[in-house]
Amino acid sequence: MNPTLELASGSEDARDIAAARGGDQAAFAALYHRYARMVHGMLLARVPREAVDDLVQDVFLMVYRRLDSLRDPGAFGGWLAQITRNRAHDYHRRSPQSQELHEHMLIAPASEDRLAEDALEAVRNLPEAYRETLILRLVEGMSGAEIAERTGLTPASVRVNLHRGMKLLREKLGGGR
Amino acid sequence: MSDRYLWNKSGEPDPEIERLERLLGRFQHRGAPPLLPRRIPFRHRQLAIAASILVTVSAAWLATRGPRPEWSVALVEGAPRVGSRAIVGSAWLGEGEWLETGAASRASMRVASIGQVDVEPNTRLRLDKTRADEHRIRLERGSITAMIYAPARTFFVNTPSATAVDLGCRYSLDVDEQGAGLLRVILGWVGFEHRGLESFIPEGALCATRPGRLGTPYYEDSSEAFRAALRRFDFEQGPVTEVLAEARRRDALTLWHLLMRAEPSGIGRVYDKMAELVPPPPGVTREGMLRRDKRMHDLWWDALGLENIEWWRKWKGLAPPVK
Repeated sequence: MNPTLELASGSEDARDIAAARGGDQAAFAALYHRYARMVHGMLLARVPREAVDDLVQDVFLMVYRRLDSLRDPGAFGGWLAQITRNRAHDYHRRSPQSQELHEHMLIAPASEDRLAEDALEAVRNLPEAYRETLILRLVEGMSGAEIAERTGLTPASVRVNLHRGMKLLREKLGGGR
Repeated sequence: MSDRYLWNKSGEPDPEIERLERLLGRFQHRGAPPLLPRRIPFRHRQLAIAASILVTVSAAWLATRGPRPEWSVALVEGAPRVGSRAIVGSAWLGEGEWLETGAASRASMRVASIGQVDVEPNTRLRLDKTRADEHRIRLERGSITAMIYAPARTFFVNTPSATAVDLGCRYSLDVDEQGAGLLRVILGWVGFEHRGLESFIPEGALCATRPGRLGTPYYEDSSEAFRAALRRFDFEQGPVTEVLAEARRRDALTLWHLLMRAEPSGIGRVYDKMAELVPPPPGVTREGMLRRDKRMHDLWWDALGLENIEWWRKWKGLAPPVK
């Protein structure tokens, strides 16, 4: 990740939203590429991993259909984040409650894959605010500033979530520092 | 802990965070943008017609090339079967072949290149036809969830009581042992058709069928009293007045369908309730609706705040008839 990464300005969003409303699929693809990691990370924090890719597609299709209802293009990130959370909630409401079969049950102990599955599971068991922010940082590779910009959270909130979440995660993983 | 490194990877690297980044990076998003539904804005109708002609011509060309008349089926759980063969890993489902899942098995089918159908336990279905411009299965019993990215009216599901017509969407469809069905739209739109009667079902709505009877669509969040009254109207010859008494503004979706389904003696009451919930737009009159004027009916649909009916009618005109 480049620390000096230039974040998308609200005007880029506004331009692409206006074009996408007129049917410009390239403009919508630009929005997708700007926000897909956020949507993916937020879903990964909430639903079984095998359902995430389908739900990412669902969310963007839903957004495409509802673009006309977005009043303030500057609030696109927060609006998209809320749609994503609602979709995850809806997934749980509609899906039969069942024990998720984690892939790590089938993976040899101490392999890298197993360690990765365990680490992801540890993050997913953190309180919601911490797990979402940490997944965006550690899985999706977003910076704190980028997370704030995309989700509509304040930089201060993101900083607190990262710091406290990482502290809890270290404790869970046995570091305890 | 290095807060700077945690914040934006600047400053002194934190070995624990680096290790987690390396481990967890494999779960990072790597997908591509979705194929967007070919919903064409009203103002671009001419462009839409040109595009639809192009799709139709391309479909015809593909049909002459004879695409493989099979779908790939992947085992998800248990031991689903294609015909008498158990699926091991994956299999092909050809035209005329049955796919069957037992009580503890599930499968997932690729619908040519236009989407996916997840097949739940205790389901029996047959691939009837797969062509570039028409893909059709028969769901005899059980449950499926379909996600289709294709022009409207390309994917069809025949059930013992009605035909589900995909309009670019994600939906689930359940059929019980008696042939009764329940269609639930998760995203987009689906049409349900039976002997010339049509139901337009938007996201968040459901529609039931029984053999020989097509139900009326309703929103999932409608009241229990409303749904019970509608069930009696649809399947037990109950009075339409009970349905009207329980209707909210959002239930105008249901009432719009009832304008074409109520007994002649009840249409006036449906009109009055509908007008109370969604005032009729210019060009729609009580007299016109009493004689079930199709143009007025369409005009009123547009006033519901759902998608313009034009695009659906347009695609329908270009597609093959439902069989």
